[in-house]
Amino acid sequence: MMPNTTLQSQREQSSVYLDIEQSVKETTFETSGVLFISCAGGPSYLETQVRGILESQPGLTFKIWSGEEPGSLFVLLPGQSLDAVHFQGLLLKQRLQEIVADFDPRMTLASFQGQEELTQQVLIKMEDSVNHQASGEIHIFSKDDIQTSRSRILIVEGDATVREFLEIRLQMQGYETTVADNGLSALELIESWKPDLVLTELNLYGIDGLPYIHHIQRLDVDEVPKIVVLTEQRVEQTISLCFQNGVDDYITKPFSPVELDARIRRCIH
Amino acid sequence: MSVNVIYFSIMTFSFRNILTIFRRAAYSKFNTLSGSELVPSISLLVPAYNEEVTVIENVKCLLTLNYPTYEVIVINDGSSDDTLGVLRREFGLEPLPNPEMRNSIDCQPINSVYYNPQYPHLYVIDKPNGGKADSLNAGINLSHYPLISSIDADSLLEKDALIRMARMYMENPEETVAIGGDVRIANGCVIENGAVKEISLPRKMWPMFQAVEYLKAFLGGRIGWSSINGLIIVSGAFGLFRKDYVIAVGGYRGGYPGEDMNIIIKLHRYMLENKLKYRIAFCPEAVCWTQAPDSYRILSNQRKRWGRGNLKNMIENYDMAFNPKYKVMGMLTMPYNIIFEALNPYFKITGLLALIGYTMLDMTHWQVLVVFWLINFLSGYLLSIGALLLEEIAFKRFSKISDLTRMMFYSAFKFFGYAQLGGLWRIQGHIQYLRNNNSWGTMTRQSWQEKSGNAKSA
Repeated sequence: MMPNTTLQSQREQSSVYLDIEQSVKETTFETSGVLFISCAGGPSYLETQVRGILESQPGLTFKIWSGEEPGSLFVLLPGQSLDAVHFQGLLLKQRLQEIVADFDPRMTLASFQGQEELTQQVLIKMEDSVNHQASGEIHIFSKDDIQTSRSRILIVEGDATVREFLEIRLQMQGYETTVADNGLSALELIESWKPDLVLTELNLYGIDGLPYIHHIQRLDVDEVPKIVVLTEQRVEQTISLCFQNGVDDYITKPFSPVELDARIRRCIH
Repeated sequence: MSVNVIYFSIMTFSFRNILTIFRRAAYSKFNTLSGSELVPSISLLVPAYNEEVTVIENVKCLLTLNYPTYEVIVINDGSSDDTLGVLRREFGLEPLPNPEMRNSIDCQPINSVYYNPQYPHLYVIDKPNGGKADSLNAGINLSHYPLISSIDADSLLEKDALIRMARMYMENPEETVAIGGDVRIANGCVIENGAVKEISLPRKMWPMFQAVEYLKAFLGGRIGWSSINGLIIVSGAFGLFRKDYVIAVGGYRGGYPGEDMNIIIKLHRYMLENKLKYRIAFCPEAVCWTQAPDSYRILSNQRKRWGRGNLKNMIENYDMAFNPKYKVMGMLTMPYNIIFEALNPYFKITGLLALIGYTMLDMTHWQVLVVFWLINFLSGYLLSIGALLLEEIAFKRFSKISDLTRMMFYSAFKFFGYAQLGGLWRIQGHIQYLRNNNSWGTMTRQSWQEKSGNAKSA
């Protein structure tokens, strides 16, 4: 498996998420608010400041954990609805900025109904979603984010250089990726790894072209992945046959990376 | 002596060209070509006779070539085994109700054409047994594209082979009538999913000799011959032809082996007689891997067959030799082939007899004999080393030092026995020809998987 996946499994084992999950289960409330604050190179007293601000409000119960990254915090607010959590977020941001002038925290917050919704994977996704935020606005983490933020893309490409480029680029976009260098191992990976989208060359070792596309569609998986073809093959007839056979998009090389990003995004959403 | 002079001059031509070839192999942008609409489309013709063990692997390999538009036509030549059955099961083929067969060339009527829309580029022709040439003609009649390429069913093409060849064709599409590819011995290589994964030399003795021999013939010889446009053969295992000219010369000739040499001679003749500018090229960077016979019996059969076909072709076309009308072909290639290839063993024997005679009569000294033999041996060895050098300059397919030393060793070892056997087989082939014995001989196949399994365990 790829380094990205191993990283994730390490994170799953780390105790922060388990602790949070545990404390959620111990509380009697139906809803639980979660607030995640991250500040790159943030001050070490961040935790005490946050604690002080929250303690100054009577009747508010909360728990704080430091996140994976230095300068990041998880705050659990049991029993708080989304409005209340949002209010706390705004309050924290304002107070913190009063103390330190150029303080620029990134925040994601959510309120979960029922305890099953709050899982390690969701917490990881919350943490990651902060990194993809462009502005300093507070991000409200919704169900959409859970589904789309880390789509899995299988990259199938024979050329090592192009493969690496695609892998790095798509990972930077926040996708989870795995690579294959030939048709047969790609088919195996689709079955075992279940990607949401397959970005593939048509010219491959083992099996390629239309028979390969047919095979993907007949695989024994719950949901056939979207197929985006990225190839040297520019013959009109092949392109039209591919679309007829249910390929979602077809991009020819040499390609524009920006265009590729846009098309992949459109296929996934 | 003069034969060595010719060998060396041909080799010199080869060396002169090798730098261009190397640059072409390393830098040419065939990858961009491989998806272009502008590349001419090709029909691959694969005659198959009793190939049930290897044919699937083969067709799979051919279906994943790096080429924009092409079709694969497998011609089942009345196999007595289940060649057609395994093909139909693997690819889910159904008979086509109305196959569009043109009758550009005479060939036996076919039984039916099989097709599956899921594999839009694969056709299988089923016909009664009629020999390799007849199968190829049937394939030509079905083919939809302007270029045809004949490929043996026991050979594997490298993924880029076809596009490299097409690139050479596109340099001069008007004049190029045929292009030959480089044929190498796959025995010993590790083969996976229809592609050669790991290159190494054969383990056994017979294929090893042939590997050295092929290297010398293709790299040392054919590059040079093609540079003076005197190529007399494009290997039947992998060659590219313009369909219009193949039809113009009447297609492949049946009835005798050596149809691959015959078609080239006919093309030469046709183009020269009609005073058309033409080129028959050799493309050493387009590589095809083939299974070499690995036992004495099969090898000797193959060589006898070659000897027979060669003689037949020479007798049919003797008028071209020493005829200035046929330019390089008439003045150089044909005489060379008649004298030094076809009649070579007889010269050797008479030479040997003469030598024995002289010694018996005490007309010569042993020193003279030794010098004579040494010159012969060294020049031959030099040629082999030259071919090896060409290989290492341009292609570097064999990277292991141990492989190189083995090749050097076998190049020398070849002169003690193997070369003489070659002569013997040729004579036997000629005798068969004179006796009208015209069997193809047995050719057994091993599955590729089995082969690579052997290579791994060895």
